[in-house]
Amino acid sequence: MIRRAAALLLLLASAARMGGAQRLPEARMEVGYASVSQRGFDPEAAALLAVFWRQPATNWTFLTSGNLTYAQDSLAAAQGVAAFDFEWPASEHMRTEVGVAGASFSLRSAGRGGNGNAFLRQHFVGTSGGSWVGTGLGRTNRDGVVSSSGALDAGLWYRFGPAYVSASLARTTSADWPLLRASGVVRDPEDDRFELLDALATIELRRGPHDISLLFTGRNGLGGTNARFRALMGTATVQATERVAVLLAGGRQLADPLRGLPQADLVTVSARISLGPQPLPVMERSEIAQAQVIPMAGGGGELVVRVLANDTLFVQVAGDFSEWQPLPMERDGAFWVARVRLPPGKYRVAVAVNQGQWRAPRNLARVRDDYGGEAGLLVIP
Amino acid sequence: MNRHRVLFVALVLASVSVAPALRAQGTPVLGIADARAREAVEREIARAADRGLPTRSLIAKAQEGVTKRAAGERIRAAVASQARRLEQARDLLAPSPSEAELVAGADALAVGVPAPMLRQIRAAYPAGQSVAMPLDVLTELIARGVPATHALEQITDLMKRGASSAQIAGIGASVQSDIAAGLTPDAALEVRARGVMSLLPSPAAASALAPSGRRP
Repeated sequence: MIRRAAALLLLLASAARMGGAQRLPEARMEVGYASVSQRGFDPEAAALLAVFWRQPATNWTFLTSGNLTYAQDSLAAAQGVAAFDFEWPASEHMRTEVGVAGASFSLRSAGRGGNGNAFLRQHFVGTSGGSWVGTGLGRTNRDGVVSSSGALDAGLWYRFGPAYVSASLARTTSADWPLLRASGVVRDPEDDRFELLDALATIELRRGPHDISLLFTGRNGLGGTNARFRALMGTATVQATERVAVLLAGGRQLADPLRGLPQADLVTVSARISLGPQPLPVMERSEIAQAQVIPMAGGGGELVVRVLANDTLFVQVAGDFSEWQPLPMERDGAFWVARVRLPPGKYRVAVAVNQGQWRAPRNLARVRDDYGGEAGLLVIP
Repeated sequence: MNRHRVLFVALVLASVSVAPALRAQGTPVLGIADARAREAVEREIARAADRGLPTRSLIAKAQEGVTKRAAGERIRAAVASQARRLEQARDLLAPSPSEAELVAGADALAVGVPAPMLRQIRAAYPAGQSVAMPLDVLTELIARGVPATHALEQITDLMKRGASSAQIAGIGASVQSDIAAGLTPDAALEVRARGVMSLLPSPAAASALAPSGRRP
């Protein structure tokens, strides 16, 4: 199963590389240390290694990642994920995400084996908010016993200023009793499968390329178990240089039957190194922004500022035409776009991503701004 | 005593007259969180208003600082610098520059346009006709890397030949596309200026069409 998943992953990666060669890819690597506490065992020190690759194309993006957690015999896990994210040509608000993942593990608390799973998610993406519904199917071989799991989830997200919040519900059914037992739940002998309802809430704050986030999960057993769990996981990312970020994370990760992962208390410290071209999520430079003027009859023109940035980023455009108040931007395909009609004259324009430095759009003349930064200058006939 | 009272009344009147002026212009200066810094910026703007300088561009400069999350002192310093440039532009574009010309002149100085060039532009254009747009284009061209003397020469030539503001303004965007296509800024301006010149009447006809005050 693992070999089949790996072959499929490689096939998808090659297809993505061929299809998406015209857009800027993003690759990064993460190395670090983790202290992992599995229930009933002392904390273990583990090494972490992860790689991530994202290849955007015109109407879709391919994402793949792999990670390895290793603490000798007591804990060793390798996981790989490959996913496509399609933008609907007929509607800029719709996106479909489909992917497969595989894992191999050897865990003191939850046995040895492997897992394969597939997922499908439909997103509706608005200007400041959105929603999704999704489903997933997983199959786990644990100490020679094969079990299947299924999940449905639905959620909402909203972004205001530098804050991003989301809330979702997920319902999971599974027969992977050893996994639940490793979390301290005693099996009801009458039930073949158990059913869990998770309520998740995330809040994330970004400032420039730095961010901090909290994920709360409340879990109730609906069938087969009446166990109740509460878990909180926090992460912080500090971008030390353009290519290196330091990540700190700590908290509890609940058992994930779909992916075969056990409950664990984690504290991790890692360094994320961006490889290849500068990735968009930490991009502050103006290379991603472009300004264009569409002349209007009788003089003046419509200034169109386009910023090629992920829809999870917070993008602002301002200038002397808006008295330096940031303008509302709309999503248009892979771009954030602002349009404003202006009479003839000279204007200064600047763009900021995730409240980072204000920069001139790449195709405009750059001028200093008295604040140690820059703005773009254009003259509309 | 009387002198003190007169001074006090004058200060009250000045503060009362400046405050509504700021509010009337939609004063985003009040967006500065630090009260002491806000007052310092408002004082700077009031001083500029007392010197007869237009305050709109100073308020915009302050608001730019607020949006860019600059420290209060830095905003005050930026407003003071802009006021100095406006004052310098007023002298260079004498005798009676409009607000648009003053702002264009101040912005040109901020980008590094040599001060004497403002005088040359003013002298090259008939009195009473705004030099705001030519100054803006000169600023844009120099910011794009065109040598200042070449940019000035081309713009004054175009002005003397009777090019309209729209024709001069259109040069900046055209030069940009040529630079993107691989031309040097200098060569790009040369090509585009020639293109506009070819559409204009000959120098003799241009002098005949020039405003009466400038006819030979």
